[in-house]
Amino acid sequence: MKWYRNYTRFICATFVLSAALSVQAAPWHSMSAEELETKLVDKFSAGKYSQKGADSCLMCHKKNAKVMAIFDGVHGQVSSQESPMAGLQCEACHGPQGKHNKGGKEPMISFNADSKLSVTAQNTVCQGCHNDAQQMAWHNSTHNLEEIACTDCHVVHSAEDPTLDQLTVNNTCTNCHAKEKADMSKRSAHPLKWDQMTCIDCHNPHGSMSESALINPSINGTCYSCHAEKRGPFLWEHAPVTENCITCHNPHGSVNDNLLNSRAPQLCQQCHANDGHASKVVPEAGMNAFGAGASCLNCHSQIHGSNHPAGSLLQR
Amino acid sequence: MSFKLNMITLSLLALSGNLMAADFSVHKANTSSVNAEKFSCKQCAYNNGYSGKMSASAGYNDVDDIHAGNALGTAEDGAIASVSGDVRYQSDLGYQARFQAHQLGMDNSFATLKAGKSGHYSMALDYNSIKTYQAGDVESQLWHHNGLLTPSTSVNRFDLALEREKFAFAADYQRDFYQGAIRYSQEAKTGHQAASLVTPSPVNFGLPVDSTTKQWDANIGLNGDNWLTDLSYSGSFYSNDIGNLSLPYLYDVYAAAPDNQAHQITLSGQYLVKSTVMSGRLSTGRMIQDEDLIQMAGNPLQNWDGQIDTLDGRFTVSSMLSSRLRLGGTIDYSDRDNKSTTAEFMQYEFNGLTGAFKQNTPQDITRSTYKVNASYRIASGYRAQAGYDRKEVERTYSEREQTNDDRFWIKLNVRALENFNIDLNAEHANRGGSKYEADKLTSSEQNALMRKYYLADRTRNAAELKLTHTPLDWMSIDVATRYAKDDYDETQIGLTESEDFGYDINLNLHFGEHITVYGFAAQQWINSEQVGSQSFVSPDWSSEINDEFINLGAGVAYGGLMENKLTLGLDYLFSNSISDTDVSADLTTPYGDYYSYSHSANLYADYELSALMALKLSYRYERYYDTDAAVVGIDSVPGLVTLGDINHDYNAHQVMLSFTYKLR
Repeated sequence: MKWYRNYTRFICATFVLSAALSVQAAPWHSMSAEELETKLVDKFSAGKYSQKGADSCLMCHKKNAKVMAIFDGVHGQVSSQESPMAGLQCEACHGPQGKHNKGGKEPMISFNADSKLSVTAQNTVCQGCHNDAQQMAWHNSTHNLEEIACTDCHVVHSAEDPTLDQLTVNNTCTNCHAKEKADMSKRSAHPLKWDQMTCIDCHNPHGSMSESALINPSINGTCYSCHAEKRGPFLWEHAPVTENCITCHNPHGSVNDNLLNSRAPQLCQQCHANDGHASKVVPEAGMNAFGAGASCLNCHSQIHGSNHPAGSLLQR
Repeated sequence: MSFKLNMITLSLLALSGNLMAADFSVHKANTSSVNAEKFSCKQCAYNNGYSGKMSASAGYNDVDDIHAGNALGTAEDGAIASVSGDVRYQSDLGYQARFQAHQLGMDNSFATLKAGKSGHYSMALDYNSIKTYQAGDVESQLWHHNGLLTPSTSVNRFDLALEREKFAFAADYQRDFYQGAIRYSQEAKTGHQAASLVTPSPVNFGLPVDSTTKQWDANIGLNGDNWLTDLSYSGSFYSNDIGNLSLPYLYDVYAAAPDNQAHQITLSGQYLVKSTVMSGRLSTGRMIQDEDLIQMAGNPLQNWDGQIDTLDGRFTVSSMLSSRLRLGGTIDYSDRDNKSTTAEFMQYEFNGLTGAFKQNTPQDITRSTYKVNASYRIASGYRAQAGYDRKEVERTYSEREQTNDDRFWIKLNVRALENFNIDLNAEHANRGGSKYEADKLTSSEQNALMRKYYLADRTRNAAELKLTHTPLDWMSIDVATRYAKDDYDETQIGLTESEDFGYDINLNLHFGEHITVYGFAAQQWINSEQVGSQSFVSPDWSSEINDEFINLGAGVAYGGLMENKLTLGLDYLFSNSISDTDVSADLTTPYGDYYSYSHSANLYADYELSALMALKLSYRYERYYDTDAAVVGIDSVPGLVTLGDINHDYNAHQVMLSFTYKLR
């Protein structure tokens, strides 16, 4: 039981420490969200910027490693005219200093998780510079309507923004999209689990003018960008295939092979009840040619379309 | 509808008036009192020069089944090595570069080099290799050479695996009010995939894959204070080096995927008026395929002109009418106009030419979608959203030429509670449409009671609840649960109902500076029922499919050992996919085993040799098992030749030692 007592002490000590840290709230913590926003808008309009720029801020904040990490990335570059550090410096994003440095009682624009400033207002800071074609559909995007802050995904005070790295972007997305994270481990899935593909290969997290924020105007167009052999057009089309790939497939993963919503022959028999073998019951897998091997696809293997003149049954 | 939307737009514009939300854009800053010359940054840390790290790894793979290569990065059995790195450069003149490489030398790897001047221009070179393994040492008695599949008594052994190797070049340039970019990529896809041909009895075989897809993308954009516009072109060219396949006694038995190309030009824009944002897009495209057709009796054409013209348009408006209320609306139009040649072609039936002719049926599809939504802040920390979506689809050559999907949804977001976030979503949707009737081409064949599930009347109800709880600074727990039910009430033959429900839980703990612990669990169930008719009259058999998925994971990282130089970590993941089917005709019989499970573990020790050098020793374990009762021996079923046992049951191990050198 000794380990249990030690563990209990450890948990208690950590709890007390965390509680102690949490009471160090900013003086403006008692302001309501509306009061805070009004105050910051007034400060922004008054435009009382510091006399010395970043040095005025770093006088107090230099010991904070997270603050200083801004210089590791592009937002801390003085040499680039586009960088905030080349203009109003820290105050380009955090707003004019005003009387913040006089006792630290006046709020600044803050982007951390505890910030009471509305997400919409926070995001205007980023959008002031990052307003290009990639963000064109942001305003009506799900992420905007769900009030996702730019800083929920992007890290500015860092050499490396996790959303800009193939090895970390999926992790950023699945921090919220837990179901899709689980889908990656299903029997069949695109290779997202190992970061060989990324969520942003198909979706634009800033929104798009397509269904499900896809990067292409259509679902099928998005699939064809990697599966061009299925684009055709084919002489003999399979109607649900040309209409929508997700009629049969779930691109996020499936307990069935080939990302299929159901396996053959059941999936096929959900649409085909022709007079003949398609209507026959297949009582058990592996018993006969209708249930063994590739099932219906043993014969109808050109399921995505055939270019054979005699291929109307998608057999050739 | 367009008139209605115009009225909505005008109403939003009128209502939005001067209700401006806070805007802290830097270009709206009041800089009248700023004296930039006095700005200094003596305390700033200028990290110019090189930074980052490079690492070299060597190790050993113990792999019996190439399927393990999916998880381990390579299916190589024996000694393995790779190089990785992430190096940045920035100069005091604003130039910057980044080189990133991930396990170069292994089957799955990538490298990217990007350089340029921040905010002005950049160029990038990318390399990406993805290899996916389905099964190794698959056996077939067909040998492929120049389009001929030759049967032989000697066994052809090959891997069912596909490798995609992609190279890309990109460049972009931007100035005050304009920007442009161009990108070219070329992807080669090689390997084998499972396929089947009719001889006339079915024979599964390994279809050789050797194709190239070239892609061009270019765009130019202009922007002003309150508007943006962008014109882009995208072109894709697919070329297949594998032609039509023949058997020595049966020519052109399998048609190759034809070369094809697609082009798309898109004009999009955004306009802001006070707190109203309007955006739109118009996209026109063409897909072309004009490969020579197989020449045979009953084919009147040398080559078929396949052409599909697409037109996609969208207009969206979103407006903050007050600090509490946001309204939005969208109209979306998508048209697929299949202009391909039509002709009558002689068709095969099971045992040869019958003389039956059939005309190809190029399908046109038109979709129109209308959406309206509202978001209202009820009180501080409480927000409600609601919306209505309607999708209308028209299609030719179909049993149901028009379908309409209506969907109502609501969301409630609660952020007012201390340490708790709550999100509740619910939706109700209905699909209806024109009269369902077998089309002229198939009416004599299809059971009149069949309702294809993607065309059938459907009622959908769904709900989802998400809770995010942060009881302590060092602890967070997320819980989500969801349920959805689809009822196909008018269907007597086909899919009649489907339900999908599950939950996921995520726990994250940060015990101080050095210890991080996480765990997650997820389960999902998908149950569906379908009905068939052997007698071709009324339902006389049914299937019940019960899918289940379990996903469990946990990990710990401890970084406080040996004066903070040593970090130990463990990650573990378990997944289990199960699909049980019961078929009921005269008797109820289980369809057979169809499941898979895997255990993945990664144990590592990361030791800092010095401020610039580090060693990492890692051990990865993969246990994978899958089974499918449909997978049988090559000739176990009379009249069918399969690829044999391609189920998996293996343990794989990987040990790697990595040396990392930090540039700063």
